[in-house]
Amino acid sequence: MVDPTPRPDPYADKAPDLESVNGLIQARIDGVINRRTLLRRAAAIGIAAPVVGVMLHATSDMVYGAPSQGGDQALSRLAQGNGTVPADAPTAPQGQPKTGGTLTAGTYSEPDTLQPYVTQTVTAGDVLTGVMDCLLQYDSHEQFVPALATAYTISDDGLTYTFQLRDGVKFHNGDTFSGDDVIATWKIIMNPDFGAFNQNGWDKISDIKVDGKDLVITTSEVYAPFMSYVAAGGAWISPKSAIDKGIDSFKQEFGRAPIGTGPFKFVEWKAKEQIVVEKFADYWGEAAKLDQIIYRIVPDENTLLVQLQTGEIQLIGSATTISATRLDEALGFENITILEHSTQSWDHIDLKQWDHLRMTKVRQALDFATPSADIIDKLFKGRALPSVADQSPGSWAFDDTIQPRPYDLEKAKSLLAEAGLTPGADGTLEGPVPTNDPNVGDGEVKPLEIELWYVSGNTDTERVSQVVAQSWNSIGVKTTVLNQDISTIWGPEGYQFTKKMTGSLWSWVNGNDPTDTFYWNSTQIPKTPTGSGGNLPAYFFQYSFQKQIDDLTTAGDATTDQDERKKIYSQIQQLLHEEVPVIFIWWEKAFPAAAKNIGGFWPSPFNDLLWNANTWYLT
Amino acid sequence: MLRYTIRRLLGAIPLLLGVAVLSFIFMQLAPGGPDALFARNGRMSQEQLQAIRHNMGLDRPWPEQLLNWILHLLRGDLGISYSQYRPVSEVIGDVVPNTFLLMGTGMVISLIAALVFGIVAARNPGGFFDNFASFTSYFGLAMPVFWFGLMLQLLFAVNLGWLPSAGMHSPQGGGFGDLLKHLALPAFTIAIGSIAGWSRYVRSSTIEVMGQDYVRTGRAKGMTERKVLLGHVLPNALIPFVTVVGIDVPLYLTGAVLVETVFSWPGMGRLFYDALNVRDYPVLMGILMLGAVLIVLGNLIADVLYGVLDPRISYS
Repeated sequence: MVDPTPRPDPYADKAPDLESVNGLIQARIDGVINRRTLLRRAAAIGIAAPVVGVMLHATSDMVYGAPSQGGDQALSRLAQGNGTVPADAPTAPQGQPKTGGTLTAGTYSEPDTLQPYVTQTVTAGDVLTGVMDCLLQYDSHEQFVPALATAYTISDDGLTYTFQLRDGVKFHNGDTFSGDDVIATWKIIMNPDFGAFNQNGWDKISDIKVDGKDLVITTSEVYAPFMSYVAAGGAWISPKSAIDKGIDSFKQEFGRAPIGTGPFKFVEWKAKEQIVVEKFADYWGEAAKLDQIIYRIVPDENTLLVQLQTGEIQLIGSATTISATRLDEALGFENITILEHSTQSWDHIDLKQWDHLRMTKVRQALDFATPSADIIDKLFKGRALPSVADQSPGSWAFDDTIQPRPYDLEKAKSLLAEAGLTPGADGTLEGPVPTNDPNVGDGEVKPLEIELWYVSGNTDTERVSQVVAQSWNSIGVKTTVLNQDISTIWGPEGYQFTKKMTGSLWSWVNGNDPTDTFYWNSTQIPKTPTGSGGNLPAYFFQYSFQKQIDDLTTAGDATTDQDERKKIYSQIQQLLHEEVPVIFIWWEKAFPAAAKNIGGFWPSPFNDLLWNANTWYLT
Repeated sequence: MLRYTIRRLLGAIPLLLGVAVLSFIFMQLAPGGPDALFARNGRMSQEQLQAIRHNMGLDRPWPEQLLNWILHLLRGDLGISYSQYRPVSEVIGDVVPNTFLLMGTGMVISLIAALVFGIVAARNPGGFFDNFASFTSYFGLAMPVFWFGLMLQLLFAVNLGWLPSAGMHSPQGGGFGDLLKHLALPAFTIAIGSIAGWSRYVRSSTIEVMGQDYVRTGRAKGMTERKVLLGHVLPNALIPFVTVVGIDVPLYLTGAVLVETVFSWPGMGRLFYDALNVRDYPVLMGILMLGAVLIVLGNLIADVLYGVLDPRISYS
């Protein structure tokens, strides 16, 4: 039996004491700081070298697990000048925690609906995490912690999942939670008349039944991402009584006033103004410290920054964070703390498999000709992470051995020459395009002309596109920057479906499971321009390495052992880096913010906003 | 007058139908569609996508969709929003009063300011006040809303702390006073653009009327300047102005998008923009129809007022 109970966080409501020898040792033992920090901190508070030696020795074998990445959070919190604070622990302001009170959070975009299975907005998830529960939930370290299920087992053949359901859980409408609610949730998600937006994982369930206190789910095949889709990550359990009211009611009424088992119950939603939730007294877990959370809708970043400054908005996170390019301004506000964490969003230029872009050498050359490091350092002032493939640097599946290609125009030119491209009359490179073998140019001679698209209104991708186009143009790759609104660009008339060489700068957002079948597998190539699927660049021609990546992504989904999976995803990342199906440029960082008197706030790339809101407090 | 009004209203029906058909066709012609994002955003299978298209009626040819929409409209049913999954009448009904309040207040401020600025400036063209009024009104006209709004927020909310920076009500709610405080900045911002244009209009038409023979006659027979101005100049100067205001009503609607965004005002402009982004056809159609109705009504009211203000015009 896997026991997903996390070890208690000793610093949930207080900052570690890093001013004394004992405090430092304790912090090291608790894994809040790492060895280097300990040394630095000890030096800073003037502890003599021999003493430090003793301290290191005292703590060397006692640390439970590795300290979390960038565990200097505690230090930053104490010594914060005007920088951001890594979100590695809950915020812990000075002063006595108060019980009760109202917190006002802000969001740029209003949820479309709070109906958990049809919403397309991240902001809906941000609210729903406080109102509804899943069987399990992710913590800020991407680990499962118990929620409606107290524990679970997976059978040896990987097909049967048994969840021990929690006793005495009440829905906000007074219903008692049971396995029947989970079964009803599964049925409605799979009902075609309902039209759920994401059936992933749920569609693998072949049988589901209640056995005493247990819920036993049998799946039709071994599917590693199952837990992340069905047990957590947005798989909120609805009360059967609400589902039984019919599809229309469940969409319309439930979507405007959701009912769950979470620490907060829904109170009101004033269109385009605010959503209010309040403490649910009968919550099964640690009761909320706050009485009320008001989620204000503020569509404009300028206005949001003004409101953070005036205190009208006290907290932002998850779907709504301060953009990297506006951070300096916000860092000047004295009343707020700006946190920082990695995200699951990878910004890249996809390259359509068409003409020269089918050739690996051409794509590698474009990667060499893309000034990724400069984009990160200069445009984003270092507030982003370099990207080499599709796994987040914060994820366990990340392969940290791959180095990004340097910016090297000479190398790019020689690769293009090797691909048979020579300068034409106007300086634009031209050469024969491939016909059968994607890596052999044996067809018509064509110029290397690429349309580079971005979604209109996004100033970040606009600026990056200009920089990239300038660089590509400088080596004879004729690049034109174009833009369209979001519904046009992803529609059937979008650039993906034109018979031209195109690239487009945008980002995918990964889920908590590393599965990446959606991006690369040949089953995910849309059949028609209105079809679904994430493998858009391969719409006209499959990748030259399609078979390889198909096998690897399929194996990744069918392997449950984490170490084995890590190896598979390592191979995928190396293959992607080698073949450059898309140019990986940067991983976004997120900058949530909270007023200095808010404690317990702990945003991360793995959770929606209100995931631990029951522990939030004001001082 | 009543018969004229009724005739105009009846005449508006085919016009509105035409607007409906054209809007629908333009919307269909625009690239992308309500399902464009679904196919990329959710990790959705082909079958799911097909089921959702079917539920929304998107799998049928657009003339059939249009006919369906009109048949439902005749029964007073605007359909269900594609993105919010609730009746369009509710979606729009939630925000329309807010936009009307903002527009109405903005128009009243503009009207008063334009009349005062225009008339005072016209009494001494080229004088100090005329130059001052013309400078400030052009300044107002030239300011982009998002910048001007931000400056007002920084001054009144951040530095002085007198007014809330944005929103329509305080988070905890509040009475009429609370609403007025929230209304002040956005209403002023939305007004500033038309104060410029309108006051110049009032000024020039007042100057024109002041040069007329009957004004000289009035003065010659010893009328007070006040009587001349209010009794003779103003009514004549206002006649063309009424038309301008009537035509500008829809401008207020479009201008609302930016002001509503900057001041987080829960209005129709933002709803339209959001709906446009996700191609929520039923909501877009609903707002377009409402806009068309407002334009028809705005023009009708202007024409009727025309008759009231100018006895030479009769609508029999």
